Amino acid sequence: MVKVTVDGLPVEVPAGSSALQACEAAGKEIPRFCYHERLSVAGNCRMCLVEVSGGRKPVASCGFPIGEGMHIFTDTEVVRRARRAVMEFLLINHPLDCPICDQGGECDLQDQAFGYGADHSRYRENKRAVTDKYLGPLVKTVMTRCIQCTRCIRFSTEIAGVPELGGVSRGENLEITNYVEKALTSELSGNLIDICPVGALTSQPYAFTARSWELRRTDSIDVCDAVGTNIVMHARGAAVLRIVPRINDEVNEEWLSDKGRFVVDGFRRRRLDRPWGRVDGRLQPASWQDAFSTIATRLKNVPGERIGAIAGDMCDAESMMALKDLMETLGSSNIDCRQDGAKYDTSRRDFYTFNSGITGIEDADALLIVGTIPRQEAPVLNARIRKRFLAAGRGGFPIAMIGAPNADPTYAATVLGEGPDTLAKLAAGELPFADVLKNAKNPMVIVGHGALTRPDGQAIAKACWDLAVQVGAITAGWHGFNVLHTAASRVAGLDLGLVPGTGGRDVAGMLDGGVDVLWLLGADEFATDRIGPETFVIYQGHHGDAGAARADVILPGTLYAEKPGTYTNTEGRVQEAFRAIMPPGDAREDWRILRAFSEVAGRKLPYDTLEALRARMARANPVFGQPAWVRHGTTDTTAPQAGPVSVSSDPFRPVIADYYLTHAVCRASPTMETCSGIYVHPAIEAAE
Amino acid sequence: MGTLSKAARSMLLSELVTGMSVTLKAFFKPKATINYPYEKGVLSPRFRGEHALRRYPNGEERCIACKLCEATCPAEAITIEAEPRDDGSRRTTRYDIDMTKCIYCGLCEEACPVDAIVEGPNYEFATETREELMYNKDKLLANGDRWESVLARRLELDAPYR
Amino acid sequence: MADFFFHTTPGQLLLIVLETLAVLVPLLLGVAYLTLAERKVMAAMQLRKGPNVNGPFGVLQAFADAIKMLTKETVIPSGANRMLFLFAPFLTFSLAMVAWAVIPTGNGLAIANINVGVLYLLAISSLGVYGILIAGWASNSKYAFLGGLRSAAQMVSYEVSIGLVIVSVLLAVGSLNLNDIVLAQRNVWFCLPMFPMFIVFFISALAETNRAPFDLPEGESELVAGFFVEYSALAFGLFFLGEYANMFLMSGMVSILFLGGWLPPLGIAPFTWIPGPLWLIAKILFCLFVFIWVRATFPRYRYDQLMRLGWKVFLPFSLAWMVLSAGFLMVTGLLPGGAG
Repeated sequence: MVKVTVDGLPVEVPAGSSALQACEAAGKEIPRFCYHERLSVAGNCRMCLVEVSGGRKPVASCGFPIGEGMHIFTDTEVVRRARRAVMEFLLINHPLDCPICDQGGECDLQDQAFGYGADHSRYRENKRAVTDKYLGPLVKTVMTRCIQCTRCIRFSTEIAGVPELGGVSRGENLEITNYVEKALTSELSGNLIDICPVGALTSQPYAFTARSWELRRTDSIDVCDAVGTNIVMHARGAAVLRIVPRINDEVNEEWLSDKGRFVVDGFRRRRLDRPWGRVDGRLQPASWQDAFSTIATRLKNVPGERIGAIAGDMCDAESMMALKDLMETLGSSNIDCRQDGAKYDTSRRDFYTFNSGITGIEDADALLIVGTIPRQEAPVLNARIRKRFLAAGRGGFPIAMIGAPNADPTYAATVLGEGPDTLAKLAAGELPFADVLKNAKNPMVIVGHGALTRPDGQAIAKACWDLAVQVGAITAGWHGFNVLHTAASRVAGLDLGLVPGTGGRDVAGMLDGGVDVLWLLGADEFATDRIGPETFVIYQGHHGDAGAARADVILPGTLYAEKPGTYTNTEGRVQEAFRAIMPPGDAREDWRILRAFSEVAGRKLPYDTLEALRARMARANPVFGQPAWVRHGTTDTTAPQAGPVSVSSDPFRPVIADYYLTHAVCRASPTMETCSGIYVHPAIEAAE
Repeated sequence: MGTLSKAARSMLLSELVTGMSVTLKAFFKPKATINYPYEKGVLSPRFRGEHALRRYPNGEERCIACKLCEATCPAEAITIEAEPRDDGSRRTTRYDIDMTKCIYCGLCEEACPVDAIVEGPNYEFATETREELMYNKDKLLANGDRWESVLARRLELDAPYR
Repeated sequence: MADFFFHTTPGQLLLIVLETLAVLVPLLLGVAYLTLAERKVMAAMQLRKGPNVNGPFGVLQAFADAIKMLTKETVIPSGANRMLFLFAPFLTFSLAMVAWAVIPTGNGLAIANINVGVLYLLAISSLGVYGILIAGWASNSKYAFLGGLRSAAQMVSYEVSIGLVIVSVLLAVGSLNLNDIVLAQRNVWFCLPMFPMFIVFFISALAETNRAPFDLPEGESELVAGFFVEYSALAFGLFFLGEYANMFLMSGMVSILFLGGWLPPLGIAPFTWIPGPLWLIAKILFCLFVFIWVRATFPRYRYDQLMRLGWKVFLPFSLAWMVLSAGFLMVTGLLPGGAG
């Protein structure tokens, strides 16, 4: 620790900190444009000037290392004049188009010009104009506004791992560009919008839609992947207009995947906003009463084992709990939350969660990725792997992948092989990476759904676990066995026991006439065409997608933005989302629908309030009552059950065919459709 | 002034006479009111009457949907929705003023960076229903077209003081 | 012709009707235009224009008001005593009209030239308080009731001083006949020798007619409209007419008692060319102008001030004046009628 004095205030900061960090520690706010905590220091905006004892001129605090006993002055006349001068220079070429700029109201330059800007300009010459660049359908550019802070260059290079942006020319002519007219190939490109301190990079779909001051902010959780990214819904009136990430260093730092950010225009399209019932083969609008009584009538005299339920990938834990309780009262144990047919041993929680935790990646020193492409399945988590990769330096964080030979993971990873036999070789010590894992202090194994959704998924999970035990990845202080989920509802579903009970049928068993009545809770991601023709299908969900198309009765449910809900991410971290907007039309919160139906069916569920339901959840699984998730190790190395199917040698297949179209909401979103057309299909065509 | 003189004034009704002489003088003075529908008072160029949305001389509407008027409106009478127009420029798709909420403070006019929303000289826009006072963009633009010559003149006159 | 009117019964009846109409029609027209005049005069004194839309200079405003008044819905409050509620405005209105029977518009030109004319007037104006009390009570409304009470108290209070002032005049005249009172002023109008009594009488007349600054019974700001707050349409109109007719009546009394009635200011040409009734009308109009003028000038009295003025100032003052003038007349032997 080093002692320095900031404006007469003594503070202690770690050695190697910059003057800016010391000032922050002292509670002094230093204006800055180019400096960003999660990016490397560029020191080119010069806004963060401070005076340092002994120095003859002001220094840029972001890149100035502190020394013992240093005196830093942040508020002297020299500093103020210097900052005013810097601001004047910045504004020379910045267009005063704030009224038509989407950044207006949340612009760093605007805010700081309020403090350091002059009330008029002394610049009489022509301002510089810069051609706008094409960065894809998500990021809109107005490059004339750019102040060359290079945050975007550093972000794309360092965080996103796609070094597609750079600067050309020098001095006044410096331009940020991607060299060629090509869309940014990153699943994190939306973060450029947040990171740009001015209005040079703004959101294309949100362009000119609203002002920051009009928006109502609600904390929520992203459900487009299983990372559980903390987000803020920005809503005006009855519509969520944009989604931005919320800082949570334990989960997403301050990043958000493009899908989670831009899916928002799917919120209002293809919505189910009233109950429907199938009359003579056609869906007709119905009332809640009619819909419920139709279901109740149909359910009469159907034995419990002929009733089934499937929970979708975006469900909140509350509705899944209610669904499970409803099925139990109906005498059914046919319930499943695994649409993709993944196999888990659910007897222990660490058999199906990401035990190292997302922050644990930063402590790992060797990584094996089995049957998953984290860049597509969990872009934010992938950024954490890349962060660790960069921090460890060349060769400091060896990464190996099994499966996905052609994917660019954004970091150097050795592809060991394509199928489970590689895993066996690794376990047998035949590959050099086995030693790397063995010698590592905190080795990590991530097994994904490319492996788990196969019939032999459970056996592969066991193989991975055994490998992890073998290389010493599971100790009292470190748990290196990780399951990377793709469905936001999955861990909560497994925690609440939404798997078939004894004698119960799983998803595959419920298809092809396995049940007479099938209740789909937002489930669209399975082969709906395989539902038996005689099966009576109840679809409860928010978007008119595959499930609704097959349904006999549609009950309009709610999106994650429209209900308070609990979500458990792949780590098993329980997080709460709040209601940002009211559901459209007659749609109701999902657990209330189930609760209301249970009364019509004469099997009333014993909770009337969200609190009571949450208490019920906590009884079903204590993790829902615990607020904090803590990293844990284990000494119990008993392996999960291998399951009945033995390992086959087929190569692992990617689980995501099209990153932008993985669920009903993004299929309803025009932006995601465009992205899919631009990013995924040319890639498929090129591959063919 | 002694009690005596006070009493004397009271008894001699001098206060009453003074008071009545004031009103009698006023009786013969020229009247302050004007014969309204036929005569109209002089308006300052800053008079804040009915709103109008102006256009540029080439017919392009001035409003750029910056929403500053909406933000500054103390009565929250203005509602704006915007989206990129086909040519990529920032335009309103909806510009509503609830004239029943408006308090005619003129802050919208002051906030407007492009002199698009102005309060014109027209104060004779009473209607028979409340609905007619919910002005939309068409109505405001029509007002702007109707009053443009006057509006431009007023802005010109007021320009030295802004 | 004269024979028919003076000596046959139908003729006499017809004559009475004609005489009545000759007084009432101009009176009602006058009342109508008094409302307009009041608005115009007050407007002028407040630097306004006043009504100017209906007809040239707004001359048709009175008719517009009348039509409005007649076409409005008559609202009878559910708690009101229906019969008395409707009876009160008729009483007020008819009393205001009846009093005109004894007012002489020229030498002997009265519908009833009776010797107790002054007593008759006093009696009739005292009855006026019933209309107000009944209206206030029958409305079954606290505002109306309070207004009625105030009005009654005020009228009773000021009637006392009016009575004493009249006694002073009567002492000087020696007759209760209004014709005689006017004729007694042939040399000098009573307003000069009895100037203080003239002022007391005029102010009491303001209070008696509930005019500003003594319009507390109506008290817009506290009692909404006083005793007739519940009245609407024709009933309200009758009150309105009654009130303004009372103003005429009081102005007439002031003219007759103090301003020499139909007599010209000086008994020489060219004043004598103008017929007596016109002189009376001119004097009445002048009084009415002063009524309005006062209203435009002075703010409303407080209730306790009103009572103090009535009982502690006017009553002792007029009583003292009466005693003094009686004594003066006695001592100087100018007392008419030779009673001394």
